[in-house]
Amino acid sequence: MNDNILQNGYPSWEELKKFNRIPSHERFAKGPVAVIECIQAIPCNPCEGACKFGAICVGEPIINLPQLEEEKCTGCGMCVAQCSGLAIFVVDKTYSETQATVSFPHEYLPLPEKGQTVTAVNRAGEPVCEAVVVRVVNPERNDHTPVVTVAIPKEFADAVRGMVRLGMEKPADHSCCKDYVYKENDPDDLIVCRCEEVTVGDIRKAIAEGATSITGVKRRTRAGMGLCQGRTCSKIVTKMLSDATGKRGIDIPLDTARPPMKPVTMKILGGDDDV
Amino acid sequence: MEKREIAIIGGGPAGLAASIEAARAGAHVLLIDENASPGGQLFKQIHKFFGSKAHSAGIRGIDIGKKLLKETEEAGVEVWLNSSVIGLYEGNNLSVVRSTAEGKKIVTVQADKILICTGGQENAINFEGWTIPGVMGAGCAQTMVNVNRVLPGKRVLMIGSGNVGLIVSYQLMQAGADVVAIVEAADHIGGYGVHAAKVRRAGVPFYLRHTIVRAVAGENQEVCAAVIGQLDDQWNIIPGTEKTIDVDTVCIAAGLRPLAKIAQMYGVKHDFIPEMGGWMPMHDENMETSVCGVYVAGDTAGVEEANTAMDEGRLAGIAMAEALGYIPGEKAEQRKNDIRKSLESLRLGPFGERRLKAKERIIARGVAE
Repeated sequence: MNDNILQNGYPSWEELKKFNRIPSHERFAKGPVAVIECIQAIPCNPCEGACKFGAICVGEPIINLPQLEEEKCTGCGMCVAQCSGLAIFVVDKTYSETQATVSFPHEYLPLPEKGQTVTAVNRAGEPVCEAVVVRVVNPERNDHTPVVTVAIPKEFADAVRGMVRLGMEKPADHSCCKDYVYKENDPDDLIVCRCEEVTVGDIRKAIAEGATSITGVKRRTRAGMGLCQGRTCSKIVTKMLSDATGKRGIDIPLDTARPPMKPVTMKILGGDDDV
Repeated sequence: MEKREIAIIGGGPAGLAASIEAARAGAHVLLIDENASPGGQLFKQIHKFFGSKAHSAGIRGIDIGKKLLKETEEAGVEVWLNSSVIGLYEGNNLSVVRSTAEGKKIVTVQADKILICTGGQENAINFEGWTIPGVMGAGCAQTMVNVNRVLPGKRVLMIGSGNVGLIVSYQLMQAGADVVAIVEAADHIGGYGVHAAKVRRAGVPFYLRHTIVRAVAGENQEVCAAVIGQLDDQWNIIPGTEKTIDVDTVCIAAGLRPLAKIAQMYGVKHDFIPEMGGWMPMHDENMETSVCGVYVAGDTAGVEEANTAMDEGRLAGIAMAEALGYIPGEKAEQRKNDIRKSLESLRLGPFGERRLKAKERIIARGVAE
């Protein structure tokens, strides 16, 4: 499991090359072209229908990776907003002598404006360079997926894939520690069943007394007998039983299901006179 | 007592799809949902769906929901809202707390065919401080931002990197929050790479082989920080690896499991299928359970996603209409086979094949006692 996509949440350049995701140098030299950064076999094919020039092929089965026929691609960008995974970009390395443009989906408000300077980021979300917004397109057919095009120094054309969303320019310090007073708690006081306020200690005691099932714990402690009928705690009780007894999930049966499934007042319950 | 040909419990993607198919075939369908509006989770799924064109791919969940509601209405499905099924008794008798103009009253509905599609339930994990205000299920946070338009907090820690954790992280950022980190106990990100890439390029770091140690309350008794730590091979926290993160919200996306209590109380055969979320009702290739005339679909029949839920609902809807004589056998079989193929296409690839194999195992095993 060393794949970057699984470890870090974005495809590495090597992965993109390996899956033949990067158009050729020759194609880049001709102008804007789609870069489809989709490297996992997931059931999805809207990109295929999005291209009016037939440049994207998924075929059957729909888990095939989309293949780009780069000669047919005009770099129009119709596919960018149609990709449900927001994984298609248009890169134009011929924008000017020194600059390239990158178009990416940007589903955040407020939208940047043409001419605005923004911070371009790479696939890892790290700031790469300043960028000038060239275009923001958001027609109805994009269905609320605006596509932003930014101009950047050419050397960053393969790196830039987005921008810092407006209002978030100063990235938060993720490791910062706030001042708070931490009081050591007794682990046995931790609540398991919130409805009936049954604690870890209560359940441990019930298991020590011989409870081997959710029902056994329920009868001894009332865990699962409250408003939510065990929707929240039964999974935790199962895990505690499993940890204590070594039983696996399959050996811990569900607790008995009985009506009423939902709390109901006696007035309503007694009201059906045509049964 | 009210009599209906088909009663469908739960108006999410599976229930809506089933009711449309069955009602279009001519059956009298009653759809019961405990919410003020049907649609289930669709109305909080503001992202574009995957799948093929036949699965409404590229369309946002909320718009698929609107389309299904319109079709439900056009097909003449009878819908009871704010109404809960509280029991299912011998003879296919459903006990329903129904909302009427005069208030809530209990009604017994006897139905020839019953479809249980009550969805899934979020798994809870209990760590120190999990009951402090500000700790919530990821699904809860998603409902808050996308349905109720309330931001649960400004700085969020997400526990779990499956598709729910990734999608809700993204949507919390769209709603204006900062997702400070995504913590994952496994050694790799669980959800689709494209979902992970969206949040990663927005600057969200992943902490793999980590878990939450505790949520800490501030002076106002709400979450003011969370401590995470690295896990060893035995899934214990390695001392000295704890990190304190400044957050006001902790979301738990630790998976879902089938919600099938109604099927369980009716004696429907269950089995433990880990790939589908654990204990779940067994069903055959028509989504019918071990109890003749009782069907399951969607997350109740094993946790998957909305596309498979809609397909399973359609399959059950056609099968019920066929069993009632509304669709001739040959025609029904052809349509059901098309849906089975569509379901198979959704269960291919590294993310789906475990579920594909599990479903094949379930159907091969059969529902006979």
